[in-house]
Amino acid sequence: MSRACRVADFFSGAGGPRTLIELSDVWVSLGGQTVLEDITFSLDESMFVGVIGPNGAGKTTLLRVILGLVKPDRGTVCVMGMSPGELKHELHHIGYVPQNVLFDPIFPVSVYDVVMMGRICCIGTFRFARKKDREAVLDSIRMVGLEGLEQRLIGELSGGQQKRAFLARALCMETRILLLDEPTSGLDLPAQDQFMELLTELKGSLGLSVIFVSHDVNVLARFADELICINRSMHLHGKPQEVLGSERLKDAYRCEFDFLVGSGAHHPGREGGGG
Amino acid sequence: MLAYEFGQRALIGGLLIAATCSILSFFVIVRRLAFAGMGISHAAFGGVAIGIAAGVNPIVTAGGFCVLVATGIGWFSRKGRLHEDAVIGILFSASMALGVLLIRLANAYNQDLLSYLFGSILAMSWTDVVILAAMTLFAVAFLVLFFKELLFFSFDEETATASGVPVRFVYYGLLITMALTIVVAIKLVGIILVSALIVIPGATGLQLSRNYRGVLLVSLFVGLASIAGGLFLSFGFDVASGAMIVMVMFAFFLAGVALSPRRAYMQRLLGRRTAAGDRDG
Repeated sequence: MSRACRVADFFSGAGGPRTLIELSDVWVSLGGQTVLEDITFSLDESMFVGVIGPNGAGKTTLLRVILGLVKPDRGTVCVMGMSPGELKHELHHIGYVPQNVLFDPIFPVSVYDVVMMGRICCIGTFRFARKKDREAVLDSIRMVGLEGLEQRLIGELSGGQQKRAFLARALCMETRILLLDEPTSGLDLPAQDQFMELLTELKGSLGLSVIFVSHDVNVLARFADELICINRSMHLHGKPQEVLGSERLKDAYRCEFDFLVGSGAHHPGREGGGG
Repeated sequence: MLAYEFGQRALIGGLLIAATCSILSFFVIVRRLAFAGMGISHAAFGGVAIGIAAGVNPIVTAGGFCVLVATGIGWFSRKGRLHEDAVIGILFSASMALGVLLIRLANAYNQDLLSYLFGSILAMSWTDVVILAAMTLFAVAFLVLFFKELLFFSFDEETATASGVPVRFVYYGLLITMALTIVVAIKLVGIILVSALIVIPGATGLQLSRNYRGVLLVSLFVGLASIAGGLFLSFGFDVASGAMIVMVMFAFFLAGVALSPRRAYMQRLLGRRTAAGDRDG
């Protein structure tokens, strides 16, 4: 069976929610230091999953393991029913928004050019963008609300607009899974809310599965269907209320957690009718 | 100048070099490889010295040596053990030192060596022109065929990797193309001045245009006009062609800085013009 068929079959098969990502006993070390140990969890499709944990907990490494960019020392990784080796050819189904894109503010590319970069895996090597690629780019720009700014230099946009442009870049391929690494860091509270609301809306309209890494428990408690808390090893996995109410959250952060738990309680979100 | 066959050869060869250097220059600027270019060009001295000492065509040995140095810069930097500028500084000075020692041992301080240091485009043969054309074809093919990958990699390497762009191939490909371009451009302006050709056109383009397409066009114009203009002026005033080419290029750069739309006075001027145009319209 061809790989393309495998992805199509994975998403078109009948039955209940499928397991989209499955990690079993994953251990990762970088530069001789263990970064992740004994990570085991499985995520169903169409979920909004928040990954929380203190700085240096291995959250970004976890995303890189899912993307196949970091090879575990031990354990198995299965994404959309495929091993990391097979996934290499299906990366156009996985949109990635990195934590910080450190680019030169005068880098001579427009919003349109940046979003077009996301189409590269669909266009293929030795080929140039076709009409459908140009249309996909303009659609993505429209979806994130940046229409009219297509020709603006990326460095001239505000922080919030840049994050939207990078989100559009992650969406303009044949995206099924969206991986976001601290995409709201550096944004003020209204911009954070706008970004999260946009993300929730797109998740619903495009049927995406979202994995969102953040150290900000408050933001994720309001929007995520499930939370995973890691600090090198797995600490918690469950509904936001369960995770935030757990004593083990303090162990993960190695500090008292009254503020965060209290804040989570102030934003009931899901029970409260959409936060 | 064009009445002489050597003048025709110099112009054709020069324009071929200009085309390659101008496109490459865009990536040298946006990927911040100017110091790497400087390092590789000076490392060519070691390669030329190996050729002179061994009695082999120095351009061939310089080509091999520069590719080795460029790959070394990439390898050490990507392994993360040392910063790129430190690696360049080490390989650059070690290669120069090797060159000085070999030249002394071979007792080869002569006119031939000076032509590599300062360029000798007017002594270019038709064989040199054919080699240049082949090199231009290779470099332009790589830069054009992998342009979108190179652009993505230069802008955001991490996401490019996550999107399946073969970043290692693209990075080493860029360094090797730069090394080979530098080696053939040595014929034009020499080891000492060659880095100007891969830095100034792109830097001028970035002054005058905000989009990469415009930067590339300006870069190409500056490269071609500087080499043609520099050759004609050097012929007219009977001065060193390499130095004249670099001075013409530098004049373009200064003009680019002065006329850059990023300058406040240019913004005021352009704004006034637009406002006047709006009123007239």
